[in-house]
Amino acid sequence: MSDFSIIGKPIAMVDAAGKTTGAGKYTDDLSVPGMLYGKILHSPHPHARIISVDTSRAAKLPGVVAVVTGKDAPNPYGILPVGHDERAMALDKVRYVGDNVACVAAETEFIAEQALELIDVKYEVLPAYFDPEESMKAQSDFIHDNKPQNIEKDYHHVFGDPDKAFNEADYVAEARFIAQEVTHAAMEPHSTLASFEIDSQTGKPGRLTVWSSTQVPYYLQHKLSLVLEMPMSQIRVIKPLVGGGFGGKSEVIPLEIIAAVAARAAQKPVKITYTREEVFLAHRGRPRTIVDLKTGVKNDGSITAVKARVIQDGGAYCSYGVVTILYSGALLGALYDIPNIQYDGYRVLTNKPVCGAMRGHGTVNVRFAFESQLDEIALQLKMDSAAIRRRNLLKAPCITVNGLRVQSYGLPECIDQVVTRSQWNERKGKLAKSRGLGIACSHYVSGAANSIIRSDMPHSTVNIKIDRDGGIVVYTGASDIGQGSDTMVAQIAAEVLGCSMARVKVIAADTDLTPIDIGSYSSRVTFMNGNATLRAAQDVKKQIATAAARKMDCTLDDLIFRDDVVVNKSATVAKTPANGNQPTVVHAEASVSGRVEGQILRGSLQQKRKDEGPKAKLSFEEAVVAAIDFHGALSGTGSYAPPPEARGGKHKGAGVGPSPAYSYSAQVAEVSVDEETGEVTVHKVWASHDCGRALNPTSVEGQIIGSVWMGMGQALTEEMVWKDGLLMNPGLLEYRSPSSVESPVVEAIIVESVDPEGPFGAKEASEGSLAATIPAIANAIYDALGIRLRESPFTPERVLSALRAKKKQKHINLTEGVDPTAPTTFREHGGSLCFKGKGPERHALDPARREFHVAKGGAD
Amino acid sequence: MKKELVELRVNGRTYELAIESSKLLLDVLRQDLDLTGSKRGCDESSCGACTVLVDGIPMLSCALLAASCEGQEITTVEGVSEHGSLAAIQKAYGDWGGSQCGFCTPGFMMTVKHLIAGNDEPTDADIRAALSGNLCRCTGYEQMYQAIKSAIDAERREIGVAQ
Amino acid sequence: MSLPEFKLLRPRTVQEAVDLLAQHSGNVRILAGGTDLVPSMRQKLFEPQYVVDIRHISALNGMTPLRDGAVEIGALTSLTAIERSPYLRQHYSVLSEAAGTVASPVLRNMGTIGGNICLDTRCLWYNQSLQWRKSCGFCIKKDGDLCHVAPGGSKCWAAFSGDTPPALLCLNADLEIISAAGVRRMPLTEFYTGDGVAYRKLQPGELVTRVFLPAASADYRGIYRKLRVRGSIDYPLAGVAVVLKHENGHIADARVALTAVNPAPLLVKGVTAALFGNVLDESLAEVVGDMAAKTAKPLTTSALTPEYRREMIRVFTKRALLAAAN
Repeated sequence: MSDFSIIGKPIAMVDAAGKTTGAGKYTDDLSVPGMLYGKILHSPHPHARIISVDTSRAAKLPGVVAVVTGKDAPNPYGILPVGHDERAMALDKVRYVGDNVACVAAETEFIAEQALELIDVKYEVLPAYFDPEESMKAQSDFIHDNKPQNIEKDYHHVFGDPDKAFNEADYVAEARFIAQEVTHAAMEPHSTLASFEIDSQTGKPGRLTVWSSTQVPYYLQHKLSLVLEMPMSQIRVIKPLVGGGFGGKSEVIPLEIIAAVAARAAQKPVKITYTREEVFLAHRGRPRTIVDLKTGVKNDGSITAVKARVIQDGGAYCSYGVVTILYSGALLGALYDIPNIQYDGYRVLTNKPVCGAMRGHGTVNVRFAFESQLDEIALQLKMDSAAIRRRNLLKAPCITVNGLRVQSYGLPECIDQVVTRSQWNERKGKLAKSRGLGIACSHYVSGAANSIIRSDMPHSTVNIKIDRDGGIVVYTGASDIGQGSDTMVAQIAAEVLGCSMARVKVIAADTDLTPIDIGSYSSRVTFMNGNATLRAAQDVKKQIATAAARKMDCTLDDLIFRDDVVVNKSATVAKTPANGNQPTVVHAEASVSGRVEGQILRGSLQQKRKDEGPKAKLSFEEAVVAAIDFHGALSGTGSYAPPPEARGGKHKGAGVGPSPAYSYSAQVAEVSVDEETGEVTVHKVWASHDCGRALNPTSVEGQIIGSVWMGMGQALTEEMVWKDGLLMNPGLLEYRSPSSVESPVVEAIIVESVDPEGPFGAKEASEGSLAATIPAIANAIYDALGIRLRESPFTPERVLSALRAKKKQKHINLTEGVDPTAPTTFREHGGSLCFKGKGPERHALDPARREFHVAKGGAD
Repeated sequence: MKKELVELRVNGRTYELAIESSKLLLDVLRQDLDLTGSKRGCDESSCGACTVLVDGIPMLSCALLAASCEGQEITTVEGVSEHGSLAAIQKAYGDWGGSQCGFCTPGFMMTVKHLIAGNDEPTDADIRAALSGNLCRCTGYEQMYQAIKSAIDAERREIGVAQ
Repeated sequence: MSLPEFKLLRPRTVQEAVDLLAQHSGNVRILAGGTDLVPSMRQKLFEPQYVVDIRHISALNGMTPLRDGAVEIGALTSLTAIERSPYLRQHYSVLSEAAGTVASPVLRNMGTIGGNICLDTRCLWYNQSLQWRKSCGFCIKKDGDLCHVAPGGSKCWAAFSGDTPPALLCLNADLEIISAAGVRRMPLTEFYTGDGVAYRKLQPGELVTRVFLPAASADYRGIYRKLRVRGSIDYPLAGVAVVLKHENGHIADARVALTAVNPAPLLVKGVTAALFGNVLDESLAEVVGDMAAKTAKPLTTSALTPEYRREMIRVFTKRALLAAAN
């Protein structure tokens, strides 16, 4: 039985009814008078120089109000200060099929689409790079002139003495793992509505308001300010309901800038909503990752050293790339005790849509490799897969060899939980044929200890205002994207102030109204914004308590805030019956004095009690009134900055990876495989997650299940398929995120390690579980069939191919799309695997090249 | 293109609209009737976020032309609430975490409304099959199953009380 | 992605519909369930001036068992109705099973049997937006002159991806086709051409109005097996329908038809001959599986590799036969 009245209780999200009734508004649901529709012209070439853009025909189409191009807003931007390589629209070059070239603002969507067809762009096509390992060998035509060999960034870290440790190892495993590219596919396509006020002095566009589906309203405000050359104070960003992010909205997406540029040119509000195809092209998903991994162990299973060489296919711009490649290395630490680590990471540019941050940012693909290899090692050593993980636990609290501070560490209990619940010891190895169990672990940060923009600014600040009727308004910059941060904030405020949730109203993510918060990414919101909320609530509570104590003639320490009443505990014990500080009587009076079904009954008992002497208890409203009478306006503020001890080491790139706290997950997956078809069915996943403390168990379980489920998608069905830089599956029909039919039962198990610095002990809950699912499934497939899959997703053809190889059956080429009728010289159309780097140069019969063909034909 | 007069029945009300006969039902609901509950999640009629009931049957409003629905009774998520308060399924989705970001939720509301109208004791397999035309990216569907079962229980209790 | 602008024509009878089709022939599309046509129009695969909306021709909606035991199915009968019909489930189970695998429940509520028969052939290079298709220089099926899947030839290899036609082929179904000129009846086996572009033999102005299942095909044991990545929503990546009839414990008749692996749904030739008079066992089922795999010519028109899809035709045929025999 916890001491809390609201924390730890399953509570419906504060905005749930808006979502289930359709009343809640997402950006695309909004419209303002005079609003125009924007449509973006995208590059058809993966890599080309822009010779000219002629928009005159488009501009003349009736209904078109403005056409803008790169020249209308040439300032570069990017989410990372080291990666300002994007522009609102291309200036000189396009770098992927889908790069932004121009935008039309018109009276209807239909007219805007028609106008796009009338924009004439002349391109000089350049050689293009689609494979990262090929791209790294480039000698000319670099994707960005300042990035030779098309390497965005490479890092080389050595901790301890890996070479020596490998020599001392009893067994060393080494293999290459590949994880194919995946994307967020949030259900809501990105949407932005930008509207300028007319400046009353000049008549020109003045203040800008932007409604956008974003996880990072304050970064958006900052980047808009850079590109539009406006002070941030003149830009207001409002985040309406957001239909899922998963990282896909955690940076500034081209349409957000373009809508503002178009609105400025049109002098009218402009809304742009991406088509689903454009969402795929905006991308920012998890890069295709090649992991060459080497792990050394002693005979008892303890790891002596790990060496990883990681190549990430980052696409055409930097985005979060530098952070991704650093996370991939840094998060090799903090899960297990690894005394020696060598990491070589390469973030490589290619002519494809841009990769960025996606749920489990940086850790997922490397974790897949690591946990798979650990299973292979356990098999070699004839050790149980759970035992080898237990063998390598950290001795927390500690600092890892790569400088990560670990305090609360619930991994041992996570492993115990899934082993028990899945009956691992009883069932492992004893299941029916082609059925197997696999285990894997993962972890994730509870926010980055160092923000993207280096400064000493707090990462979150929260203000609370309380009105005379006891209504509480929390102003938070936290961006609720469906994970429930508004609810979390309301719960913390209500718990601290000892009042019901119905009193609390949350105003969130509006840069004009709410204090700065750096956004909803890297699972930072509960930890950081939660702490800021906690401090703001404590600040305002102290003011109320001071006034109440005067009124009640007691000390601050005597006061208990609970159930909408402020009680002098020394006084109550005497007055109320034996059950002490859970007085049902008080609760009943509170509802009489203050609230009936959430309605405030003004002036009820408050006035009557005013002249009476010191009291044993005050209703929350009475206490608030006393405080307002005493202090004037009643407001509190709180902020959070990660402590210096949590900010990591001093080496180059040490800024990424450190977090004030880490979440932990262990999972057991049960799968069966059809040996004739290679189809994998995931029956059940037991997933335990150490979230410090579950502030809202329903939400925490939902996040665990959702993470596991998304991991399963990456493990089995999801993959971005490329041909010559063209995305072959840019839609929800062909990019197959799982339906309810094949989704497994997920048993979410909450483990509470109660972090010393988290709000009420809480840590991250939304990302850490994802990374364990993929290797848990891979390990279960091995258990079922004895085949080791080192490339995700584990599509039926990959599974069947491995199975046939193991059984030494006749080889059939199952995994490469070979077209028997196609002459080999035309292979560039058959698949990027065979593409020889000639870029968009195509078959002679291709209409795109028809002119060449005719010219050659004439000469024959 | 010239507009035509079209009479649509939506959520029990009749609307007379001047619209292009080539306009999608989804666009008419969202743009002409301000019923923005139905969502556009894809462009190829595969995600289910725009599901509405047409004469009681779940259909995708992004694959229907508004003019083609003349004479039919259309129910959107805005028409699901009962007697000015939440329907059991709406309450249950909130309580059980059936809705996270909520963007797919209106489509699910329509699908589930139809499911429980025709089957008051669906098995797990029935529920999974019934929901399989609506994609959700947040929940992994699991908490929806609990919500649906609890909504059915709640409705049964309500009927019990009424009797 | 908005729809192209067109005028919607809403006939209430078949006669009105075929008159309208005749009047506007060449620049008209027929709209039934809309699940295939509407997304395709948004992708500008079709930009007709007129769309004839036949949704409300009630005469074409529903099933009628005929006196001789055959059944007549109106082209507008929804796939859900076919999936759920107790009569079909009892006597023509392969059809209701196949109908029940189409896309997802909500799409089956909208999609019609006529629409599933007339379903446009599909390819990853074709079912894309206008912008996307521009990026690849278009393809032979629409606006271009090259097949990206098989650039050596001049044929379109877009795959026919309906689930019910292989079942209907196994059942020897006939189609009723009406135009202003009159009514004709055609066996389904003759309806498809095998070319990805002009994939069906439907003249301008013609409307598929009914499907007939002959009494002779009733009460076969039938099975449909579909390869898909997800358990719902997906088009088939390979599909096999089989029907079997036993007499005195021996196979008296058998048919196997494939979908999603050729530009047309196809009956596998020689199945009856291979099975007639036999008792089905694993090795016999494998022989027929090999025959089916030889009939399948999948190319890179969809997800999963062609070789894998062909292999699945082999496996699914074998399994479907064994399941139908038991």
